Formats: sequence, C-alpha cells, structure tokens
Amino acid sequence: MSTMSGSFKPLKKGARYTVTYLLLIVLAVFMMGPFLWLLSVSLMPGRNVFSSPPAILPTFIDFDNYVQVWQFMSFPRYITNTVIIAGLGVVFNVLLASMTAYPLAVFQFKGRGLVFSLLVATMIIPSSTAMIVHYLTIQAFHLGNSYLGVVLPAAVSVFNIFLMRQTFLGVPTDIRDSGKMDGASEFRIFWQLVLPLVKPGIAVIVLLEVMAFWNNFLWPIVILEDPAKYPLAAALTYLNGQFSYNFGWIAAGTMISVTPIIVVFLFTQRYYMEGIAGAIKG
Amino acid sequence: MKSWLRSESFTAWAFMAPGLLFLAIFTFWPILYGIPLSLTDYSVIAETHYVGFDNFTRAFQDKNFTISLWNSLVYVLIVPVIQIVSILMAILVNSRIPGVKMFRAAYYIPVVTSMVAVALIWSWLLGHNGVVNYLLIQTGIISGQVSWLSSSSTALYVLMFITMWKGLGYYMMLYLAGLQGIPADLYEAGRVDGASSMKLIWHVTIPLLRPHILFCTLISIMGAVRVFDEVYILTKGGPGTSTLTSSVYIFQKGLEQFNFGYASALGLIVSVIIGALSVLVFRFNRKGGVNSY
Repeated sequence: MSTMSGSFKPLKKGARYTVTYLLLIVLAVFMMGPFLWLLSVSLMPGRNVFSSPPAILPTFIDFDNYVQVWQFMSFPRYITNTVIIAGLGVVFNVLLASMTAYPLAVFQFKGRGLVFSLLVATMIIPSSTAMIVHYLTIQAFHLGNSYLGVVLPAAVSVFNIFLMRQTFLGVPTDIRDSGKMDGASEFRIFWQLVLPLVKPGIAVIVLLEVMAFWNNFLWPIVILEDPAKYPLAAALTYLNGQFSYNFGWIAAGTMISVTPIIVVFLFTQRYYMEGIAGAIKG
Repeated sequence: MKSWLRSESFTAWAFMAPGLLFLAIFTFWPILYGIPLSLTDYSVIAETHYVGFDNFTRAFQDKNFTISLWNSLVYVLIVPVIQIVSILMAILVNSRIPGVKMFRAAYYIPVVTSMVAVALIWSWLLGHNGVVNYLLIQTGIISGQVSWLSSSSTALYVLMFITMWKGLGYYMMLYLAGLQGIPADLYEAGRVDGASSMKLIWHVTIPLLRPHILFCTLISIMGAVRVFDEVYILTKGGPGTSTLTSSVYIFQKGLEQFNFGYASALGLIVSVIIGALSVLVFRFNRKGGVNSY
C-alpha cells in the first residue's frame, strides 16, 4: 500500500495510477530534458542551438562531432589525469576516514569527547577563506602544479568519518574479542577482520569521492599551472572558452565528460542512495 | 610508559593520527589562519604589514562587498522553495508503483553531473534565441525574448533557479529516506479517523520529517550563502554587480587579485554570518518553526 493512497479511495486505482505517472513523467521531462537536448545537439553536426525555431529533437543522427572533438582535444590524457586524481582522492579518503572513525566507534579512550566536538565544530564553523589558505599551504609544501596538490586538501572529510563510524558501529563486538584471543594486534584486527565487514560503507565513500573529484574543476585550475595536467571538467571549461560557437563539439565533449559518471551512478545507485540517506543518522 | 603504549588510548590515537593531521592542516588551519591573515595586507607580491582592523573598516565601506552580501542573502530565498518542492517530489516518488525507482534515478542525475556541464546546458537553453524563450513565447507566457543571464534584473534569479534545479534530487532523496522511516500504521490510523490526504501530509508527514527539514534547511542555507560554481562559470558576478555573491567576490579579491589579507577579512565576516544563520535555524526549529513552511 502506498502511504498516501487511502484518501484516493473513491477514485479507481487506474485513475490514481494515471495521475501519478503523469506527474512523474512531467517531472522527468523537467529534470532529464536538458540532458536529452544536449545529446540531440551533439548528434547533429552544424546545428546552431540558437537558430529559430530551435532544434529540440534530432532530425538526423551523426557522430561526426564526437569524432572531431576527440581528435581535437586529447581526451585520453584528460581522462587519465581525472582517473589519477580521483584514484588518489579515493585511496586517501577511504584510508583516513576509516582509520579515524574506527577508534571513535569501538574504543574507549581519553579525549574521545574532545575529538568528537572538534569534528562537529568544523561542520558548524564554515571557512569561507579555506581555498585561499589551502593555496598558501600547498605552495608552502611545494606541491603547486602537482596531482597531490589537487588531492590533499580534500584527502579527508568529516562527513566521511561520521559515515564510517556509523558503519563500524554495526560490526559485532565479538569479532574484535575473538581476534584478541588469537593474539592479533589491533591493527591486524582492523585490517583483516573488521575492514572486510564494512565494504558497503567503503563503497559509499568510493562513489561519493569519485563523483566529487570527477566533477571538480575550480581547484585544479587554481593549483595546476600546466593545462596538460587538467582533469576533464577543468579541460572542458577551456574547450568552452576556445570554441564558444562550435556547439556540436562542445556538446559532444560535454556528453563524453558526463556519461561515465552517469553510468557509474546508474549501476551503483543502491549503495549511493543508502549513503546519502545515512548522512542524517550520522 | 610501556603500559601506556599497550593501552587502548594509545592505539586509538595512533589510528586517528594520520586523519587528524590532515584535518588539522586542511580544515582547522584555514579556520584559524584566516584570523591573523585578515589583520595584514598580505599579497604575495609586496611586503607584508600588520594593518590592525583596516581590512574590516574597509570591508564595511566597500560598496561591492555590501552588494555581494545582499545578493548572497537574496540567494537564501531558494531555501524554503527547495524544501517545499523536494518534499512534494519525495512524496511522489514514495508511491509504490512499478517503475518508480527509474524515476528516482532520473531526478537524481542533475546532482551527479558536473556544474560545468549543467551550466553550459542552461546557458544555451536560456540564450536570447534559446529554447526556453521559444517555448515561453509559443505558450504565450512572455511576449518577447528575454536575455535571462545577461540582463541584470533576471540574472540572479536565473542562477538561483539553476542551483535549485541541480539540487532538487539530492534533497528529494534525503526526504524520501525520512518518509520511508514513518510507520505506515500512523497513516492507517489517520485514515480511519477520516483525515484527507492533505491533512495527513500536514499533521503526520511534516511533523515527523522535522529532523530532516532541519538538516536540509541547514545544508541548503550553507549552500546558498556559499554558492560559487554556477555564478563563476555563468556570469562571474555580472552583468555589473547584479550576480556578485560573497564567495565570488572573495575569490576575486583573493585568488585573482592576490589580496589575501583583505579576502580573509571578508571571509571571516561571511563565516560569522553563516554561523549566525545556522544558530537562528536551530532556535527557530526548536520553537515549532516547521509550520512556517
């Protein structure tokens, strides 16, 4: 039973379905329409998006834009850059968040309350100058123009720590006790017994971070002096600036950059949604 | 000493050390270092001097800063709209009918795509000869073409619309998680008493969603006051100063003009305002503020 269905009782079930589907479809056009339109622009070489009347639906399909923009822009290089940056970011975030969260979930230790309040405080006190200080810090470490410089400021997040803590709380305590009986060190217990049990939590962090690093464009532009090191999203702003009127190329380039992340999302949405929803409980 | 090394406290701190080190450098340090920085004229190029509160007095006389603060506050107007629309969307996708999961995913796609792509699409759609103008003229809603993003009377509202459009799916999912936690028998009981669908939403759904409304309101306020990407990509604050938001202005002063001292002072002022707004929302919500939506 749908939660809202009772009051529609006088209506036939069929009518209720029709109204609901109608609303769902209208909303889908509103949310998906712009992407489908971009897809249609990318498939029609030579089409001006500002022609009148505007081309909304594709009248023919041609992959020329994709072929040409792929030859013009070194996509393999930008994709490699993106993968390196996202990969580094994911490794840092998973390791640091799970190691920081583990004691907060299972150990009793002095200063636990202090660490908690510090973490919460960072979520309440925002820093509007963070990017400026990060820039100075990265320059001081001589990491400007490097992938590490792109990744380090976002290597750990309080959000991820709380997410992992929530996951660790769900691990039965006797796992740790049995490891101790066998004489395993705390680190081995963590690495070999506990971590394999929190794979869903790790999966959520991997997804969230892949998406965040994939879409990040501003910080890479600020910190990387060499455009050849740009990730895809940053390189795309460059393409837009260079060929503001070659609509087909830009549309195709944009489609190439958003498609991987949409595909990843569609295949992993169950984990992803759980992680988002878990944020409130944390 | 040896016993401490084997104690739980030592192990706990050893586990947390790397993460806390990173947090110290990239989260705590920016909050703290902004304060001394704001009292100087640090600019990389020239010699640095201590200038006392000069940056702050300058900030309050800086007309562009006042405008940017005002624009950021106007931006907060999207917060109640986001909550209403995304709660209605969540109720809609909470219907248990075949295919509803597909629609949930579809509404979420703008959230996972990059702002670079989203901004590009909307800048084309909203162009003078763009699809939006065409459709609005065809349906008789407007009589002539509007330059949505390049006219100072509409640009800010258009940016607010884009921010909202991209974020709706995210808030919808948060509210959906809340809806699914509401026990079904509460609705059964309401229905037995003859309550209408609207009444059930108002008296059962909304009160039980309160923690979610608080959370979503807080993060959307922070998002609105700190909005940057879409403004920077689409208008860079223009035309004139009509879409100059505080984050964009701070970025211009800091990382474009290398006025780090002044930018830090501006950042501190904005941080205090965001902090105050958050406290206000907490207070408000405790006094049954939910009804105000």
